[in-house]
Amino acid sequence: MKLEVTQLTKRYGETRAADGLCLSISAARVLVLIGPSGGGKSTLLRLLGGLETADGGTIEMNGQPLSVDALELQVYRRKNGFLFQQFNLFPHLTARHNIALPLEKVHGHSPREALLLAEQALGRFYLLDHADKLPAQLSGGQQQRVGIARAVAHQPEILFLDEPTSALDPEMTAEVLELIQELAEAGQDIILSTHEMGFARAVADQVAFVAAGKIEELSPPARLFSAPQSAICRQFLSRVMRY
Amino acid sequence: MNGRERSANILVAIILAAVFAWVCTSLFAMLGKQADWSKTWEYREALWSGWLVTLGISFAALIGSIFFGLLFMLGQRSHLVVVRCTCRAFLEFVRDTPLLVHLLFGYFVILAPLLARPLGEHGLDDKLIIGVLLLSVFEGAYLGEILRGGVESIPRTQWESARAVGFSPFQVYRYVIFPQALRRVLPAMAGLFVSLIKDSSLLSVIGVAEYFYNTRNVISRSYAGLEGYVPLAVGYLILTLPVAWLSHWLEKRFRHET
Repeated sequence: MKLEVTQLTKRYGETRAADGLCLSISAARVLVLIGPSGGGKSTLLRLLGGLETADGGTIEMNGQPLSVDALELQVYRRKNGFLFQQFNLFPHLTARHNIALPLEKVHGHSPREALLLAEQALGRFYLLDHADKLPAQLSGGQQQRVGIARAVAHQPEILFLDEPTSALDPEMTAEVLELIQELAEAGQDIILSTHEMGFARAVADQVAFVAAGKIEELSPPARLFSAPQSAICRQFLSRVMRY
Repeated sequence: MNGRERSANILVAIILAAVFAWVCTSLFAMLGKQADWSKTWEYREALWSGWLVTLGISFAALIGSIFFGLLFMLGQRSHLVVVRCTCRAFLEFVRDTPLLVHLLFGYFVILAPLLARPLGEHGLDDKLIIGVLLLSVFEGAYLGEILRGGVESIPRTQWESARAVGFSPFQVYRYVIFPQALRRVLPAMAGLFVSLIKDSSLLSVIGVAEYFYNTRNVISRSYAGLEGYVPLAVGYLILTLPVAWLSHWLEKRFRHET
């Protein structure tokens, strides 16, 4: 993917979640956002994913400027996939129907086709045994995997993942991260925010360190993790890598 | 249940049954001798047609209240401040004044002067139609609040996920929010529908020939006592009990599901 972000601002009351943020990436498959909580990772991801509109600045995704029009943003969201920290699935629908419903109602597949595609998506991630369970009957890790299956079932251009493992225990975290890595290796364009530094290092083409609503540093993981340039990035990494 | 609780239970049951039996027997001793059930049979047609009208009113007002309830709920969630405030003020007014006042004021002061003639010209019963309309608005005001509570109880992440998969605003409500919200508010809604059936008896004050109105006429014409009031109570129970049972059944079903 190619990404150009210039002078992006987003305010929530007094807080500047994005404060004149600039980001330029000419080619990357997996972009990972790291940084302290409340630094603006989620906001940046939501702005890039078309879930919110900026107060100022522009975003250009693969050469296409992002609109501020509600209808055009809806079209933009439809061709991408998004996953939040938790509670992504619709609790009144089974895993199968969670995936099939958007395929049918948003992407215009016939009900039979939609169910077939949902089955394929579940099969791809070894979730077929859980196809007819409600989200409440699935573990947190399984729920996130179904969430990812839903987000990629329509072959999105870009998959946005907002701290997909923050609400999971270490074992479930591993099962979800493995799946994301599989997707990355299969060539899926991904932008994700995470606190899992080891994973960021393993999967990213580019890592952006986001703090105080700005990109403090952007470089390939090998360089960013071994020789961070900015002082706050160095401080942050030394603190999170200590244990 | 241990032994002591069981004997206490039995004792209380016996006392309650005794009190109930005493009230019934003394009432029947006083009134039963005069009760002449042939009167009920004699006026069966008036009672039956009244009951059917009540059934019709209840059904129509149920549909109407769902329509107004949705309207009030959406109005209160509108992006426009004016719409929100107007809706709020109207709901507050409706909920803080008695239905009896709405019916009298709404019929005699507002709607009858406006609608009675045009409706009459089309051969329609203006009292019935205006009565159903007023009842729908009244119950719709309560339903609007129930629905709003249900919709607002759905966590923010559900709205976001629904938007993220690409649903349009209408689809978000249709496929994600309503199915979840309705489960939560079903018991409250069923309770409201039971109230609606009972409240329909108030339409008698504007002269709608429904069950209460007809029964009262029968009673005053025939000097009936028990033989008039017992069918009145039973007639309403036949309408309300199925709704109450249905709600309990639905409540149990959905509790297991989520």
